[in-house]
Amino acid sequence: VRPLALLICCVAAPLFSAAAQQAPPHDSIRGAVRVVNVKARTLEVTAGVGMALRVFRLQVPAGVPVATRGGGATLTLRDLRPGDVVRVSYGARPGGYVAYTIERVGRMDAGLGSTP
Amino acid sequence: MRGATWCLVLAVAVAAACRRPEPGDPLRGLSGAERARFDSGRVVFDSTFTPEIGLGPLFNADGCGECHEDPVSGGTGDEVERHAAVFHPGGPGRACDELAAQGGPVFQDSVTPALRAALGIDNEAVPPEVTAIAARTIPDVFGFGLLEAVPDSAILAYADPADRNGDGISGRPNRFFDGRLGRFGRKALVPALREFNDGAFQIEQGITNPSVPDEGTVTGRPLPAGTDPAADPELSARGLELTDAFVRLLAPPAPQRQSREAKQGRDVFTRVGCTGCHVPALRTGDSPIRALRQKEVAAYTDLLLHDMGPELADICFGLATPSEFRTEPLMGVRLMTRFLHDGRASTLPQAIELHAGEGARARDLFRALPPAEQAALVAFLKTL
Repeated sequence: VRPLALLICCVAAPLFSAAAQQAPPHDSIRGAVRVVNVKARTLEVTAGVGMALRVFRLQVPAGVPVATRGGGATLTLRDLRPGDVVRVSYGARPGGYVAYTIERVGRMDAGLGSTP
Repeated sequence: MRGATWCLVLAVAVAAACRRPEPGDPLRGLSGAERARFDSGRVVFDSTFTPEIGLGPLFNADGCGECHEDPVSGGTGDEVERHAAVFHPGGPGRACDELAAQGGPVFQDSVTPALRAALGIDNEAVPPEVTAIAARTIPDVFGFGLLEAVPDSAILAYADPADRNGDGISGRPNRFFDGRLGRFGRKALVPALREFNDGAFQIEQGITNPSVPDEGTVTGRPLPAGTDPAADPELSARGLELTDAFVRLLAPPAPQRQSREAKQGRDVFTRVGCTGCHVPALRTGDSPIRALRQKEVAAYTDLLLHDMGPELADICFGLATPSEFRTEPLMGVRLMTRFLHDGRASTLPQAIELHAGEGARARDLFRALPPAEQAALVAFLKTL
């Protein structure tokens, strides 16, 4: 039992003590539109990793480009619908996240079609 | 004498090569480096976490192996989780609210002493607005690397959402929030095994990591100060990578030798239409890991959503309505002691009886079978 315990400690300890390793700041997310508030110019996007889900609340200042995939067509915030799959580049500000660009890449319910 | 020794060595090697994989064994054909990662990953998988090294403040288990333990690491467990969601079909937004603002649909059953002292709670409360609370048993994860290696196109080829062939079975893909095809989880929401594993560290154990760097909330409220003593991330990228290697490289349980009765049951299984959803074999595509590349996996699933009727319905998830569930893989079903997503069936015949919706036709044909053929079908399932 003792060698096994030693092996566990040797392999596992460095993994747990790597707390100093910081994740890079998020600067882009891809997820599904949850709520659009055109008046308040806010956008909520659902994203996540596996079953760990998060909602990103973003301010969308006037003039932030909203477009279809690859900038094919110019959209407005009003054109976005819940369930749209979007890619958002953003930055963190003292008041929260602020969107820089929004690209609508498809719909979550793409059916049998190609993955958005 | 030397010849006899070599014969003995050869015989042992042949016997080892012919041995059927046991639950918990790695896939055959791993490189030395892959096998080393598998073994190291098992150590992380079997580790027990404490609050000092990251457990909690909310958690369901103090290690992967606490739940996935029977008969070995990576297997099933007797725990039952609470998942919840809000379903509002016909509303202005998406029909399903997976409670992402509260961290997702998984509500943890345990808290660390520090969180209990701060909030006076013993678990994470489910918010009052939910429309359903679901019980979820612990699946084994054997062979999941092979399931991930099945190309999307192979899964979508089985989909028939409008039931154009009129067999009463549709099969619908679920998709993650970024649009990728889902395949893991009882509702097939999660597209990738690595993401499932990385998310599980945070959701199930409260272990932050480079993929999920924050602890989330307590039913939407921030954690009280001082309740999470370990610095984030609480598990390194290397720890995630090794755990993923262990799970990804676990071999599926090898089907057992079939008796004459079981062979008859295999034919009955096909004849009554079980294979309409429980597709006997899927083929993997390309993979950087040779042991996962171009392999046939006897998964007995199509990895698609099927409507199972109102009696089994619980939560929505992604595109899955409350009554839609992913076809449960039957590989390794002989190792299970509870059946269906919530464990409500304690025998295989009970589980078959509880099939409804798209499974109703096969269930009715099963009911109409002579007892000997019913027994044969069950005998077949017990070889998987």
